[in-house]
Amino acid sequence: MNVRIRFFAQFGELLGTDIIAESSSGVALDSLIKEVASKNKEGYDAIFDEHGSFREFVIIMRNGKRLDMADAKKVRVADGDEIAVFPPVAGG
Amino acid sequence: MLFGEEGQERLKKSTIVIAGAGGLGSPVALYLAAAGVGTIKIVDNDLVEQSNLNRQILHNDRDIGKKKVDSAAEKLQSINPDISVWAIHTTIDTITATSLVGNADGIVDAMDNFATRYLLNDVAITIKIPLFHGAIRGFYGQATTIIPKKSACLRCIFPKAPPQEVFPVIGVTPGVIGAVQATEVIKYLLNIGGLLTNRLFIWDGMQASAEEIHVERDPHCEACGTKKGMRRKRT
Repeated sequence: MNVRIRFFAQFGELLGTDIIAESSSGVALDSLIKEVASKNKEGYDAIFDEHGSFREFVIIMRNGKRLDMADAKKVRVADGDEIAVFPPVAGG
Repeated sequence: MLFGEEGQERLKKSTIVIAGAGGLGSPVALYLAAAGVGTIKIVDNDLVEQSNLNRQILHNDRDIGKKKVDSAAEKLQSINPDISVWAIHTTIDTITATSLVGNADGIVDAMDNFATRYLLNDVAITIKIPLFHGAIRGFYGQATTIIPKKSACLRCIFPKAPPQEVFPVIGVTPGVIGAVQATEVIKYLLNIGGLLTNRLFIWDGMQASAEEIHVERDPHCEACGTKKGMRRKRT
């Protein structure tokens, strides 16, 4: 099955902005993003902390609906899902 | 005219606080002054430095060393002598925030850190006026409009602050986001159009692409949550 992953802002610079990931059915959302992000260490480290958890400021959307980060490990992706991974910016 | 004499009069009677006279504060202040917002309170605790000049377009080479708010007020008054500009050289903190805002009709978030943004968010909720949020980094920016108790607040959208860093910025990015914020202020004051509430506008200048993320109020939000006693703890 195919899942579209979109990385925004500096995540996109490091990992690519629009990726179609092939995965087996029922894989956990955080595992899939880890797999895709692991191709670039800087990109991976920008999204995940040293324990492999999403950094607390990261925003994840699944099919246009924001995920509560506590659910990111429980959520299973489905064929055709679109996942957006977004880092808020803070400068002014 | 786009909004008639009545609309222009409404802008003239309005007061807007612009928190920050830097990258975002510059375009926001210029456009609001030019539009005729009657009272602009611009707040910043910094002096103009040469490294600011690539993006902080209110200031120029001759202003280096001046208080940013004084440099800002001078330019805004020359653009529109009919408005009143308050140059407030101070730090926005828990002691000063509420009195700085006073009886303003709205607050523009042109800050460069989330600690002060959260404070402005709290003040906006307490005195029930909108907060017009903007933030930038490099070629990327975001904006949203917060109407307390009606739309998602800053804490609902960003419960945790992104890490502090020295931000690389290209001046055009605050130009884009600041123009969005100023547009929101004008529409709000005139009660026209559709506001950027419950939507996070995301600008990617590198790809010339704009997106929006739908956001919702969090009933457990520590700043505006409705489920008292069940609010998330502040960290």
